[in-house]
Amino acid sequence: MKPENPLQNDEVLTRTLREWKVEASLPPHFRDEVWRRIEHRDLQEPVWLALARRLSAAFARPSLAASYVALLLLAGLLAGFWQVRVTRAQMSETMGARYVQMIDPYQRSLH
Amino acid sequence: MKRLLLVLVAGLAAAVLGYCGIYYAGTAKYCCPAPGSAPELAWLKQEFHLSDAEFARISAMHEQYLAGCAERCRHIDMKNRELARLLAATNTITPEIEKALADCALLRAECQKKMLEHFYTVSQTMPPDQGQRYLTWVQRKTVLSDTHTEMHHH
Repeated sequence: MKPENPLQNDEVLTRTLREWKVEASLPPHFRDEVWRRIEHRDLQEPVWLALARRLSAAFARPSLAASYVALLLLAGLLAGFWQVRVTRAQMSETMGARYVQMIDPYQRSLH
Repeated sequence: MKRLLLVLVAGLAAAVLGYCGIYYAGTAKYCCPAPGSAPELAWLKQEFHLSDAEFARISAMHEQYLAGCAERCRHIDMKNRELARLLAATNTITPEIEKALADCALLRAECQKKMLEHFYTVSQTMPPDQGQRYLTWVQRKTVLSDTHTEMHHH
């Protein structure tokens, strides 16, 4: 059997490839389908990751980051203020009751 | 992502600091009454906006009242024990029980009279508007207490 010449084969292959033309056409809505798949992949991203990505993009703006910090500071101050009012009312009630018990013998547990 | 974490943590830290700061500032004076004074009296000073001089006079009145009150408490205990002994000995109202009940009622009236005297003296030591407020409050909590109404409702 005559051995094949590799160089000659390469030339033949190269020529064939140059002359080869794809006759098949793209399926209908090929481009739309590709975009739909990309979007679908985005949708499948975990919620927390999507949220983190959006927050990260939002907080890249210094004004928005500062507003967020200021808002939480305000929330903390309001919660603290409300808690102070509740605590003061409770303490006042307790101390008032103790004062009355001190001065009224009939409100002491002894009697 | 690192920046996001930094901003989130800074926001939370600001909220916690704000909460703790205002809570501490708002309750600090309630936690530690003036040394040597009962917390109840410190509360009275705070609640009825007493000056130091008024507070000192009221504290002295309070001590004087409590000394007499202790003696009356001793009498009440004694009468209560006597009444309990009489009640345990019979299942009908004897003249002794009637007398013990009358003594208890007299003692109670005496206690209430002394209390009212104390309230009036204390209220007159306060600024007029605060004195009136104190009087209304303390009478409602003691001699005008609605304990009996509550009992019937239960």
